[in-house]
Amino acid sequence: MTTPIRIKGFTNEVLSWKPWLDPVVVAAATPAQLAALDEMSPQARTSPYFLVLAHQPEMLLQRSIAFNAIMFAPGGMPRAERELGATVESRVNGCVYCASVHAQRFEQLAKRSDVISQVFEEPASAGTTAREKAIVEFSIRLGAEPGKVSADDVRMLKEVGLSELEILDLIHSVALFAWANRLMLNLGEPVFPAAA
Amino acid sequence: MTTSYDASPPLDVIDATVPLAPSQATRTLRLQRDKVVAATQGSYDAMFSPTVEGLSVAERLLVALHACSVSKAATLAAHYRERLLAEGADRELVAAVGSGAPVADARLRTVLAFTASLIERPIEGDKASIDALAEAGLSTPAIVALGQLIAFLSYQIRVVAGLQALAAAEVSP
Repeated sequence: MTTPIRIKGFTNEVLSWKPWLDPVVVAAATPAQLAALDEMSPQARTSPYFLVLAHQPEMLLQRSIAFNAIMFAPGGMPRAERELGATVESRVNGCVYCASVHAQRFEQLAKRSDVISQVFEEPASAGTTAREKAIVEFSIRLGAEPGKVSADDVRMLKEVGLSELEILDLIHSVALFAWANRLMLNLGEPVFPAAA
Repeated sequence: MTTSYDASPPLDVIDATVPLAPSQATRTLRLQRDKVVAATQGSYDAMFSPTVEGLSVAERLLVALHACSVSKAATLAAHYRERLLAEGADRELVAAVGSGAPVADARLRTVLAFTASLIERPIEGDKASIDALAEAGLSTPAIVALGQLIAFLSYQIRVVAGLQALAAAEVSP
């Protein structure tokens, strides 16, 4: 196993998450709640996070459809780069749990973690290529100051070779994590594995 | 009116608030991700559904107006202001929430403070904020609905901002 990354409170290790509200109990869940959980993933019925969100099944159902449509849509931006956008947004928002999950997904898809260490260390200068730097920079801007994103930012992405569909996929990915981070950060907290 | 084309209604709330015209390249681009388009509008519909218990539709629209005002998302703020007025909300209350002026109702005040904090400083989320919502009378499903709503608005604001930038680049490439 590779050495885990631990930088400035962020990690690519597997974390748990502890809710501050009582989760739905699966055995007592309604058909709508179960359908919303199953739409998300086969593991959602055992996840405290999704079981808390199951208190509002229609919201969870639609969010799950949006999540999977954005992160898994065929074509367009490579999935690893969508995961990078998600990890940058999570780093900027301070969502340690989301950052760990999507750093792992980036690594699984890209077979490397160099840019993840850079994002954890200092997102503003992260990126191993001009294309990656532009993706990271745009993700920070859309995440932190959406009102200031302009045609110039779109042009910068085009200059390093992104197609319009790739730019749309990046916008969706960053926006989706503006959503996910706020749930993770405000309905519970990450739990680190017991210190070795 | 010369063609029915001009009169065709916007596809959804995102199209209407960017805004994107039917013939526009950015709109055609957006439709390449039709599942995202449908789930985004589906999420909007779920966020403001009358069947959600614990938080009235008017309260949710006030949260949305406040979130968009705090984020300086002008076209989305205008959308929620219009919806509030169409629902018969008090004009002074709508003006106060839109401008960040204090509101008299303690429950609404707690909800709006949580909204601004979660929009602007999500890292500051803590258990005490959740407990304050519970003390203000919100049930667990109502707190989950509020969290989802504010988080969704953060998403919606960025989708609109991103599409506005794409549309602007389309005009002056």
